[in-house]
Amino acid sequence: MPTPPSRRQFLTRAALLAATAPSLGAFLAACSKSGPPSGGPSLTLAAPDKPVKWDIADDNKPIADRLAPEKNATLQLYTYADYISPDAVKSFSDKYGAQVEISTFNDTDEAITKIRGGNVDYDIFYPSYDQLSRLVSGGLLRPLNHSYIPNIKNVWPTFTNPWYDQEWRYTVPYTIYTTGIGWRSDLVPSDIPAMPNPYDVLWDPVYKGKTAVIDDWHTAMAMVLLRAGITDVNTSSEADLKLVGEQLKAMVEATSPKVTITMYNDLPAGQLGVCQMWSGDIINAQSYLPEGTSPDILQYWFPPDGKGLVDNDLMVLLRGGKNPVLAHLFLNHLLDPEVAMQNFTAIGYQPPQNSITADSLVAEEFIPENLRTAIVKPEYFESGYRLLELDATNDAAWHNVWQAFNAGGS
Amino acid sequence: MAVSVVAAPPGAAHPRRDRGRGIWPLLAAPGIAWLALFFIFPTYVVLCIVFGQVDPLFRTPVPVWNPLEWDPTQFSYVLTHIVGPDGVFGPALLRTAVYVFIASCLCLLIAFPVSFYVARLSGRRKGLLLALLIAPFWISYMMRMFAWVNLLQDDGLFNKLLSLGGLFTIDVNWLVGQPMVVILGLVYGYVPYMILPLYAGLDRLPQPVLEASRDLGADRLSSFWRVTLPLCRPTIVAAVLLTCLPMLGDYFTSDMLSASPKTAMVGNLINDGVQSPGLTGQAGAFVMIVFLVALLPMLYYIRVTARGSEVSS
Repeated sequence: MPTPPSRRQFLTRAALLAATAPSLGAFLAACSKSGPPSGGPSLTLAAPDKPVKWDIADDNKPIADRLAPEKNATLQLYTYADYISPDAVKSFSDKYGAQVEISTFNDTDEAITKIRGGNVDYDIFYPSYDQLSRLVSGGLLRPLNHSYIPNIKNVWPTFTNPWYDQEWRYTVPYTIYTTGIGWRSDLVPSDIPAMPNPYDVLWDPVYKGKTAVIDDWHTAMAMVLLRAGITDVNTSSEADLKLVGEQLKAMVEATSPKVTITMYNDLPAGQLGVCQMWSGDIINAQSYLPEGTSPDILQYWFPPDGKGLVDNDLMVLLRGGKNPVLAHLFLNHLLDPEVAMQNFTAIGYQPPQNSITADSLVAEEFIPENLRTAIVKPEYFESGYRLLELDATNDAAWHNVWQAFNAGGS
Repeated sequence: MAVSVVAAPPGAAHPRRDRGRGIWPLLAAPGIAWLALFFIFPTYVVLCIVFGQVDPLFRTPVPVWNPLEWDPTQFSYVLTHIVGPDGVFGPALLRTAVYVFIASCLCLLIAFPVSFYVARLSGRRKGLLLALLIAPFWISYMMRMFAWVNLLQDDGLFNKLLSLGGLFTIDVNWLVGQPMVVILGLVYGYVPYMILPLYAGLDRLPQPVLEASRDLGADRLSSFWRVTLPLCRPTIVAAVLLTCLPMLGDYFTSDMLSASPKTAMVGNLINDGVQSPGLTGQAGAFVMIVFLVALLPMLYYIRVTARGSEVSS
């Protein structure tokens, strides 16, 4: 009778097996012919000078006209946290007798992964246009029937035939925003707008431990490009990306910035003195100021000539949604000027409504004079730079630079 | 994993091994099924993702199940970017090792006296002290970290305390890129996990052996040094492992208490990788690296306990 292995032998063997298993994989891979990834569908990439009109597939037509809204339905929204006004949602449910349920995500990459995984029946999703190609090509969106959305007449004309979605077949605009620099004038004495290159403040060691950049690879890296005078914020140049990597490293060494998206809270609370910021967040920051602090200390800089990052978010219908009629009506509801204003008040992100202008916002004291710079003007969409969808190779190159930045250097 | 090894009674394989031959494998079956389902299979999935492909459209990972078709590109990208001119990941890995090492030492420094006191010197108050030791587990790790965020912020209680109520101007930003804060956060978070196993081990030290050492003339110190401590070695190794391993994968502490790339640990790289399209494979590669590094102390532990059981049998 063979003796069974002793416990010690058994453990040693098990450990050996465990240790060799991973290298076994590498060994096997080395033996196999490592073919390149099979060429799948390629992305059509839209750009302001390359407008795209998306196809409507035969098996994915818009819904018919004049359908009644679904009864006893629960409309499912999928959006960022605190990115829609509860009042605007409530007025919709009162009007149509429908429940509205809001699910949230941290970033749209995470959201798309989940949507694509199936098993979710969200009706409405809030992406940016730099995901549109993937969403449409992947067949995840439902084309719009315009007859349900007469309120489109209220939005800026550019958005009724945008370059990223000609004839607005799949999208309506939700919010518009610029990306600039926000600071508290009591903590940061520098006159940032008067600096020859205001972006330099984020590299100024004086503010070490008091700065932050936005935790989004494209937004943060584009700012580094703009600081260096490179206006192609979707560059595929290796040299440009290398420069970005070096500059990010220099920034970590100089100011050790926080990488976060909670500036709207951290800046008014005084945890941060100066940071890269979305215009909507500095407007929102007013309501996060400690009691007794005047909103006058909040400042925002965006290039006055409009040559900075300008973007907009969208509302789209998901193909997997169960309530397409209600979803159309909800889009229309949010494009109503009053609801849009109500929503703006709650979230700080401006809707592209014709009735909302910089002067009207300041005159109505909705936005204090010191934050006038955070108001988005239509002409910015002519002069500004857009963060576009990148092709797979370039996307990987950008992400690798960002991941190296996240690793923090020495 | 360490727990299951600890639980194996020393000398179980010794006498009367022929009796009940069928019953022991049967009893072990649930544990083995558990291991297979929740450890071996997930590890295989991670490997299939690391050596797999990326969806060209959505940049999500596409696992390749057949090891013969595995593609090492993502793994070798990570390996070639650890040292050398492109060594962007090296500092973060080194930093993780240093943080975890310092934090473990501090944990041990705190946990050993505490558990020694509770297990051997506290007398009647043992029950109460034990309950107090378990108390931190009632509050979630996240809440405890949030509490520190509040205490350490610029106008928080800690800075107020340091300034002695405004006598001095304290201008330290504790919450941005301070390695010491992250390390102390790790210590604070994980020290209960070290105290409990240490307590369990110290509580079970054979009293007769300790008495014998005193009878044979050892004073308190040398009895502790030459008897108690060597007897505790497997316990100490187990306790250090129990805290080290979760620390190695921790990203939360650094995210909450710093959020600066300056204090990024390998856990942060894994977390960032999983959340970025196209980088899941890299995240998996870091998981494998941590796994391999964690395996070494594990093997040492197995050696220590195996020798222990040989001695006892």
